[in-house]
Amino acid sequence: MTNSLNDIRHAKSMIFIGSNPPEAHPIAMQHILHAKEKNNAPIVVVDPRFTKLAAKGTDYVRVRPGTDAAYMMGLVNAVITNGWEDKDFLSKRVAGFEEMKEVAAHYTPEVVEDITGVPAADVTRVAKLLAMNRPTSLTWCMGGTQHHIGSSIVRAFCILQLVLGNMGKTGGGTNIFRGHDNVQGATDMCILSHSLPAYYGLSDGAWQHWCRVWDVDYDYIKSRFKEKEWMNKKGFTLSRWYEGVIQEDKIHQYTPLKAVFQWGCGPNSNSQYHKVKKAYDMLDLIVVVDPFPTMTAVLGEKDNIYLLPSSSQYETSGSVTSTSRQIQWRHKVVDPVHDSRTDYDIMADLVKRLGFADEFYKNIKQVPEDITRELGRGSLTIGYNGQSPERIKKHMENWHMFDIDDLQAKGGPCDGEYYGMPWPCWSEDHPGTPILYDISKPVMEGGLPFRNRFGSVATYVMSGREEVQLAAKGVCNPGSEEPGGYEEFKDVVPGTNWKTDLSQKTIKEALSKGMAPFGNARARCVVWTFPDQIPIHREPLHSPRPDLIEKYPTYPDKENHYRVDTRYESEQDPELVKEFPYVITTGRMVEHMGAGAETRSNKYLAELQPDMYAEIHPRTANNIGVRNGEMVWIESPEGGKIKVMAKVTERVDDKTIFLPFHYGGMFMGESLSDKYPEGTEPYVVGEPGNIITNYGYDIITQIQTTKDGLCKISRA
Amino acid sequence: MARRKLKKSSPSGVQQTGRRITLNPKLARRSFLKISAATAALSGAAMTTKLTSRANAATAQKAQFAGSKKVRTICTYCAVGCGIEAEVQNGVWVRQEIAQDHPVSRGAHCCKGAGAIDMVTSPKRLKNPMKRVNGKWTNISWDQAMDEISAKLLEIREKDGPDALHFNGSAKVSTEMAYLHRKFAAFWGSNNVDHQARI
Repeated sequence: MTNSLNDIRHAKSMIFIGSNPPEAHPIAMQHILHAKEKNNAPIVVVDPRFTKLAAKGTDYVRVRPGTDAAYMMGLVNAVITNGWEDKDFLSKRVAGFEEMKEVAAHYTPEVVEDITGVPAADVTRVAKLLAMNRPTSLTWCMGGTQHHIGSSIVRAFCILQLVLGNMGKTGGGTNIFRGHDNVQGATDMCILSHSLPAYYGLSDGAWQHWCRVWDVDYDYIKSRFKEKEWMNKKGFTLSRWYEGVIQEDKIHQYTPLKAVFQWGCGPNSNSQYHKVKKAYDMLDLIVVVDPFPTMTAVLGEKDNIYLLPSSSQYETSGSVTSTSRQIQWRHKVVDPVHDSRTDYDIMADLVKRLGFADEFYKNIKQVPEDITRELGRGSLTIGYNGQSPERIKKHMENWHMFDIDDLQAKGGPCDGEYYGMPWPCWSEDHPGTPILYDISKPVMEGGLPFRNRFGSVATYVMSGREEVQLAAKGVCNPGSEEPGGYEEFKDVVPGTNWKTDLSQKTIKEALSKGMAPFGNARARCVVWTFPDQIPIHREPLHSPRPDLIEKYPTYPDKENHYRVDTRYESEQDPELVKEFPYVITTGRMVEHMGAGAETRSNKYLAELQPDMYAEIHPRTANNIGVRNGEMVWIESPEGGKIKVMAKVTERVDDKTIFLPFHYGGMFMGESLSDKYPEGTEPYVVGEPGNIITNYGYDIITQIQTTKDGLCKISRA
Repeated sequence: MARRKLKKSSPSGVQQTGRRITLNPKLARRSFLKISAATAALSGAAMTTKLTSRANAATAQKAQFAGSKKVRTICTYCAVGCGIEAEVQNGVWVRQEIAQDHPVSRGAHCCKGAGAIDMVTSPKRLKNPMKRVNGKWTNISWDQAMDEISAKLLEIREKDGPDALHFNGSAKVSTEMAYLHRKFAAFWGSNNVDHQARI
């Protein structure tokens, strides 16, 4: 998120799209409700389902699943046509506005009503509500991203905030609430098949940079790969790794997958989960490293699996990065229980037996602190270099000294610093950056402009117009030597830039001039490397509106998308809705987390939410002849089916069915309880909702489309 | 029964919530945080500062664990990053206290975070390494497990190449461990590595 949970206290209005914090981020609610009560800030909730947040909100907008981009571009258009846009902000800090405006013009309130189901008058009303109550804090979660056009949808969110001038301001921002406790830290370290840590990518330059950090020869790392070319190619993803085994779509790699690690990763979060079972039964080796057996332990049939008990995170220590980019130290509470081992110890043992411990641990003696230092030394792109283990622990010891409203320490040993030194924290004496892109503060006090990442000038294909990408004259942080836009810093140390200069002289040079190491540019509305350079609506891959497919078709099929062919056009069948008439969407509940291995093994939480269920509208229930609490079969076009309890409720509309996704331990009507190692079966088992989620992946990120598939339902 | 025990063992704050507690009577012997788990879950929302403030003032419990020490740590569920004050006596996590003055959570917990202690105490934890032999789970030593796994990995690497392994890492580990997950893939020689942020 660009701001922080606490900063939402300053919002004058809030809009949540595909985000339900009372269930998913409960403790964030105190800050959200503070803004509502104290500032009289309206809470607009955009969701296909009337969620708990909607119950606390002031304005509920029910959109058809998968039409978020159309709704957002409709808001953008309504803001512009009514003259509510922030003209000063747009002229000085934003690029590609004119081109974007042309595209947004298509999304009139009437067009938006047809696509999304939101009444036209409501589109204009919400646009006005936000425009008249600035700054607006905008939040999305996976309801916004898990679509085949997810990458366009999130850009539409950002564009709305740019048009309203809400970026870089307290109370504003794009505030994506991240899911798991350290998903921000793990993302920053890029356990991702398309990048090395800190978003350096997979280019030769990126490998050379990290080899310098690791203090190993580039040629050594190269020798570890099959051929050099595989260093630069994106790997399989968590969404589709099993295709590397079952190969229902063609794969682009010299070998199928033979072995898989599931290290702290609940498997039933995968869409089309019944296909993962096929993969398990074809693999030579499955290694589960987890405090609990997880559903991986029970789904396969073969003798190809090991369970390694890792200790919980309370039995080890290390830093974690919250959704607000704050880095906190998670101190060890007790030693590992039973015969479990810490993740660090398991990794050390594995690496030693695989024969590369000397190179791997070259600069790591003290665990985990030396790892914090090493990753910080290399992660210059996002400013992880200023948060030493000592500083992080100091913040923990003194957390009571930080102000709840601006998160700054008032006096004491951390005086002037922001809690958790939100990244980027450019040096050992930088306070952290509480709000990204905020030009009201000097850089050394936590301010920043927009990053210069895509050149200084661009020519747009749709208009032929050339535009300077740097910020306008006079737009800069106080104290900046350059009174306006500037490029990123490079060649301070010849042959390097601010990202690759490990001496950090380049960063220090920028800071001494009151400037940002990454330059001072404009935020882009046009992304020339994406298939949709400006966000547009495309009908969900499995659409309940065949009449709209022709007008808003999906993409052409994509070859070799993270090593596997991915179907778009050939998958979008206007006839599908005849057999599968309901839209399926998924979400969280407060009592459980992720794939549920932990929470379903907690007897209190298990007692509070013991049953898997499907939310079904009364009309649907009556039409299929099922009453509240009775069982139904739900089936997906891919052949997945689950037997679950019907929860008859008007939270969903009569075209939509909602499933929580935390359950596991059952499979297509059968309990697998007796397949767990004795005594470890969870207190609660249930059908994984993800057996029903459909085929479909984002065109850029390959995120799975669990929020807008189709299904059919019948009485069990 | 449960209600009476609650009143007896936990003064002040918890009485407010006693009426709706429906869990096992054993609950009453546990810390008041169990109560907050139930409260937060039943109400479906965060506890209010007022309530937690009262609960925290339950000073009568303070003397219960002689020689215990407090460890500040962070909840392992969601990315809000709530503070936890863990009370440890002789190496055992005996009680979980709210972190009243944590700048983000301000003493609040959801039903999951309130029961963080159960991550350590759950009887459902895996106790030792295991493998499936003839369809049955069999206990093995760490040495045997790591020997067999690494031998198999090296065999696959030799025969099929490093890209025959896919590594699904984690958003539930520390940043340091996450970094090691990615570094492991690099040193193993493959980009087949990913984690929950993808989905």
